[in-house]
Amino acid sequence: MKFSNSIYPEPLNLIGGHMRLKYTGIFIASVVLVLLTVFHAAAGEPTDRIRKTTDKLIEIVTNAEFAEPEKKKERDKAVRAAVDEIFDWEAFSQRALGRHWKKLEADDKIEFIKIFGELLEHTYMDKTSQYSGEKIEYLEEEIDGKYGVVKAMVITKDKKEVAVDYRIQNKSGEWFVYDLNVEGVSLVKNYRIQFNSIIMKSSFDELKKRLYAKVEENQKE
Amino acid sequence: MKRIFIGIIFAIAYLCQGFVLFAAGPAEIRPLSDTITSNGERVRADIPESIQGLEVFSDSFGGYIYYYKDRDGNRFATNDLASISERIVLADAGGSEQNEDVLERNEVEADSRLFEAEEDEDYYDPLEDEDAYETVSDPLEPLNRVFFYFNDKLYFWFLKPVASGYGAVVPKPARVSVKNFFKNLGFPIRFVNCLLQAKFESAGDEFSRFMVNTIIGLGGFFDPATSNFGLKRQEEDFGQTLGVYGFGPALYINWPILGPSSIRDTVGLAGDSFLDPMGYICSSSECNMAVTGYKTVNNTSLRIGDYEDLKDAALDPYLAVRDAYFQYRRNKVKK
Repeated sequence: MKFSNSIYPEPLNLIGGHMRLKYTGIFIASVVLVLLTVFHAAAGEPTDRIRKTTDKLIEIVTNAEFAEPEKKKERDKAVRAAVDEIFDWEAFSQRALGRHWKKLEADDKIEFIKIFGELLEHTYMDKTSQYSGEKIEYLEEEIDGKYGVVKAMVITKDKKEVAVDYRIQNKSGEWFVYDLNVEGVSLVKNYRIQFNSIIMKSSFDELKKRLYAKVEENQKE
Repeated sequence: MKRIFIGIIFAIAYLCQGFVLFAAGPAEIRPLSDTITSNGERVRADIPESIQGLEVFSDSFGGYIYYYKDRDGNRFATNDLASISERIVLADAGGSEQNEDVLERNEVEADSRLFEAEEDEDYYDPLEDEDAYETVSDPLEPLNRVFFYFNDKLYFWFLKPVASGYGAVVPKPARVSVKNFFKNLGFPIRFVNCLLQAKFESAGDEFSRFMVNTIIGLGGFFDPATSNFGLKRQEEDFGQTLGVYGFGPALYINWPILGPSSIRDTVGLAGDSFLDPMGYICSSSECNMAVTGYKTVNNTSLRIGDYEDLKDAALDPYLAVRDAYFQYRRNKVKK
């Protein structure tokens, strides 16, 4: 974060004298306009994007065509493709490694994103066959600059309510999900604690080995 | 007997106060007035010059936590001032394999207690809480891991087979009704803790729920309060009440059989046990254990697969459970 000495935002520093007043006025007006849009907490673009993806996912999962076991591979591919549209794997992996991410080479990073993605694919996306009519209600959306959160509620068949928050980040104009908070438990943080412990006690290579072993073990089931 | 128990609970709660400042997290730490600032004033003469930006905070155990940056700008924290001089000296010497080990070992000790400082600009997230990086203290980790392993085996070798067998025999609606019955009996605990947290509307809801479910729900076996009246169960317990009063969890304890808990939540369980109707209906402890055992088997039969999924998803299930438990409880205290 940069802290400027001037009370004016960066661009206005360059303008001098009476012009500053004029531009300040315009700046304030535009800020007010943006704030009005931001505080409009009802369904906005991010919520719509997430809603579209989850609707698509539900449709894939309940589609009778994909129900047969032979079609499982196709269904998994379709699920993964739908998730790729909204989920930012790189941001998720980066945050899951925390400060260890910086120390990695580029190919290490790519390899890690790939293998971590496979672990998540198996443990979460392969469970889509267990879907049994849960509904998602979107409550509200909070945005602050590049970051935001979409608060939702998953309602199970037994009328049980589970609060799920999607943490979103704006990357070049599009909103992507980088973390899930289920009843206050952040997925990123949960993995970060585990990965940090493994890296600290041994090394990043050991973490990679364990990830590969885990994915292999899961695939055997 | 009861008086002794109450006395013990208050004693433990009093001891917990000592943990409050520490466990409350970074927000509570304040710098001492005579710290080393970045313009180079010194607190103690034996701090080497190669340390940049040393910050000294006190922890409530009477010691100090030193935050410092190394040459690369990585931020570290330690309790041991001497180790900082050692580390910087080693780094200056050129960092051979041996030195790396010493550095890593020290880092493990430092990290296990204190939060990770993430300096990367990309991480700045205005919507994230300040205490999002807080980790729970776990000095009993070796013992906790043993208990975790014990619970794991207990689940797979005993609880799961019994619950599966029970679930195969008893149809699901009946098991859900039994669960509702026991949940309904938890009314005094939830009601009193709502009051203690000054959540009067929730307390009122709980009271209405109890009336509706006991009368219309035929002794609590059904839950018309949720389905027909839209009154949700207000899950409050004494552990959360203590959390609202400012007690941090202090330490993580993974009890055998009972599962994940903390000092605060264990005190909470003890406190809640006075409000449990079963304690008064059941005259002997065998009766109490039998009822609790049945309740556990019934609840587990409805949730088989959850623990397996968690193990599937995690590289280190012990840490996954510990962290999830801590985050979950923190969230519940906040709500």
